Amino acid sequence: MYGGSSVSAGRRALLGAGAGAAAAAFFGGSGRAFAEIEALERAIAEFGGEAGMAGGRGPLSLTLPRIAENGNSVALSFSVESPMTAEDHIESVVILAPENPYVRIATFHFTPMSGTAKAATRMRLARTQDVIALARTGDGRRYRAQERVEVTIGGCGG
Amino acid sequence: MSAITRRRFGALIGLGAATALPPLVSSGRARPRVVVVGGGAGGATVARYLVRDSSGALDVTLVERSKRYTSCFFSNLYLGDRRDLGSITHRYDTLAAMEGLSVVHDRAVGVERERKVVTLAGGDELPYDRLVLSPGIELVHDSVPGYSEAAAGIAPHAWRGGAQTALLKAKLDALENGQNIVMVVPPNPYRCPPGPYERVSMMAHVLKMKGFEASTITIIDAKSTFSKQALFAEGWERYYGGMIEWLPPEIHGGVTAVDARAGTVETDFDTFEGALLNIIPAQRAGAIASDAGLADDSGFCPIEAGSMRSRIDPNVFVVGDASVAGAMPKSAFSANSQARVAALVIRGELLGTAVPRADYANTCWSLIAPEDAVKIGARYEAGEDGTIVGTSSFVSDTGEEAELREATYRESLDWYDAIIADMFG
Amino acid sequence: MAARVRAKIPESVTVGEVFTIRTLVSHRMESGLREHADGRLVPRDIINRFEATFEGERVFAVDIEPGIAANPFLEFTARIEKAGTLVLSWTDDAGEVTTYTQGIALA
Repeated sequence: MYGGSSVSAGRRALLGAGAGAAAAAFFGGSGRAFAEIEALERAIAEFGGEAGMAGGRGPLSLTLPRIAENGNSVALSFSVESPMTAEDHIESVVILAPENPYVRIATFHFTPMSGTAKAATRMRLARTQDVIALARTGDGRRYRAQERVEVTIGGCGG
Repeated sequence: MSAITRRRFGALIGLGAATALPPLVSSGRARPRVVVVGGGAGGATVARYLVRDSSGALDVTLVERSKRYTSCFFSNLYLGDRRDLGSITHRYDTLAAMEGLSVVHDRAVGVERERKVVTLAGGDELPYDRLVLSPGIELVHDSVPGYSEAAAGIAPHAWRGGAQTALLKAKLDALENGQNIVMVVPPNPYRCPPGPYERVSMMAHVLKMKGFEASTITIIDAKSTFSKQALFAEGWERYYGGMIEWLPPEIHGGVTAVDARAGTVETDFDTFEGALLNIIPAQRAGAIASDAGLADDSGFCPIEAGSMRSRIDPNVFVVGDASVAGAMPKSAFSANSQARVAALVIRGELLGTAVPRADYANTCWSLIAPEDAVKIGARYEAGEDGTIVGTSSFVSDTGEEAELREATYRESLDWYDAIIADMFG
Repeated sequence: MAARVRAKIPESVTVGEVFTIRTLVSHRMESGLREHADGRLVPRDIINRFEATFEGERVFAVDIEPGIAANPFLEFTARIEKAGTLVLSWTDDAGEVTTYTQGIALA
C-alpha cells in the first residue's frame, strides 16, 4: 500500500501486506515513495543512539491500548519517574511509530517547572505495530520502552 | 447483490425449518392465551408469528398504546433527508385482521405475576398463560446531570421513535450557519450501538448540503471506543472535513451539567455550546418489565439464552431491548430474531409443536453518507455459560469501493422492507 | 490559523504543587500524504509546535509531527513557586501562532 520505487524490497515486504484496518484515510492509500526509509534508525540516532539503553525502560512507562478501534486517533500517555530538579530531570521524550510513514510522532521537552515528566496525547497509527518511547535526562541517561498496539475494526461494541 | 426477500430473510436470521405438529388443544377447552406487551420489532413479530403458525389454536392479544408505529431504526435517515416520516410510519391494521390476534391500543400499566394478569390503563385486565414483554427502553434522564424529561422537550434524545424524532428534525432544520450541535452519548449497554454515530453522519450531511461550513458537531462520549469507529472516522474525514469532533472521557473527563435552555454541556474539561443539544441518556428496560420485578441490577431483564424466557418468571418471556441478551446488541434486527425464537418456544409448550435449537442473528447497517453504508453483524446461539454468545461475525472494511458501499446501502433498504413485513404483515 | 482552543488550567494552586493542564485545539493536521478524490495530494498543514511558558519561562514544549491525531490533545503537568501568567501557544506550518493565556493565583 505504501510501496514506491525508492522503497527497499525489505521495507516494501514489511509494509506491502494489505492492512484493511490501516488508517489510510489521512496517510494516503496509493503507492507513494517517502524518504523516511531508515527513519527509525535515524530517529534513534538523533536522540542520542541506543547506547546506555541496555538497562531498558528504567523509570519510563508507556501506556497505549492493546487494541485500537481507530488508527486515526489512539490515546497515548507516558511517565518517567524523576525528581525533576535542575540537577536531575528528564529533558526530552520522543515517541516513534516504526510502521508509520513518518516514524517520529512527537518530541516532548520538559523542564524542572514541568513538575513531572508525564504527558498524554493522541496519535495516528497506520497499522498494528510496536510504538516506542525513548527518554533522556540532562546528563545523558537514556531509557526505552515499547508497547504493541493492534489496529483493528472491532466487534459490535455492546 | 440480491434483494432480501422474505424467504431469504428467514434464512438470514438462521431459523431452520420447524416441523409443525397438529395442535393438542382439545375441543371444549379454552385456547391458551398469550399476551404480548409492546408493538415494536420484538412484540409485533412475536404476536404475528404466534398467530400465523398456529391456525387459530392460540388466543393472542397484542397491547400497544400507539396506533401508529414510527420506527426508531431508519429514523436517522429521515433526519438526513433520505426518507420521509411517512415511509417509516406503520399501522397495525393488517395485524389486527389476523385470525386469533386482538390488537388493543391501550397502555399496559402493570403485571400481576401471581394472578397472571396484565392490567391496562383503561381498567381492563388481560389474563395470560404466557406473557411476552417487549416494552423497549426507558430513558434514565438524570443519568446525565441536569437532564430531565422536561429538558427533553428542548434538548431531545429522539431515542424512541415518534414525537421526539419530529422535534429533533425540526431543530436540525432550524439551525443557521455557525450554530453548533453537541451530542452526549451514553455508556454501554444502550439501544443501537452505532446509532449516535449514524445520526451524526446524517446531521453532518444536512449541514453540508446547506453549505454550513461554520457549524460543528461535537460528540461527548461516555465510551472510549465505539462500534465501527474506524469506518465512521474514515467516512467523516472524507465527507465532512473537520466538522465532526469526537471526544472520549479521557479528554472531557465526564459531563458535569447540561443546561437545555442555555444550550450548554459542561464537562470536567470545558463547556460546549450548541444551538442543538442531542442528549442521549443511559437506558434501562421499559417500566412495565422492571416494575414487574423482572429486571436485575443492570436495569434490564435476564433471560434464558435458548428461549428468551425470563430467568425470574417461567411464564414470562422478554424480547428486544429490555432483555439482557448477552453478546447480541440492542437492535430491531436482534428483537425480531429473539421474537421468532420466543414464538417457537411458546408455541411448542402450549401446542406441542417442535422447537428447534435457538439460532439468532443480527446485522446493524449505518449510513455514513448518501449511498455509502457500512454494516456489522453476527450469528449467535445459547452458549455453555448460559448467555447468548456470538458464533461468527462480519464487518465492513475501510477503503471499500463505492459500489460495495452502495450495495450495502441497498441491502439495508431491503432489510427494512423485510422486517416491517415480518412485523406487520 | 485562529484555531479554536480549549484549555483546563486551575485558577489557583499551592506553592510547589504539581498540577495538570489539559488542552485541545481544533486543527485538521493534514499530513501531506492524503489524497483528494481526484488523486491530487492534500498539502501538508499541521501544528508543528506547542509551548507552555509561565512568566516567560519555558514549562513544557512539544515538537509535533504529522503522526499526532487531528484536533491535537495535549495533557501535561506544571509546578510554580509564585503567582503569574501561563501562556500556551500553538504554531502551525505557516508560522501562525495561536495563544491562550490565563493567570494562576497562589492559594
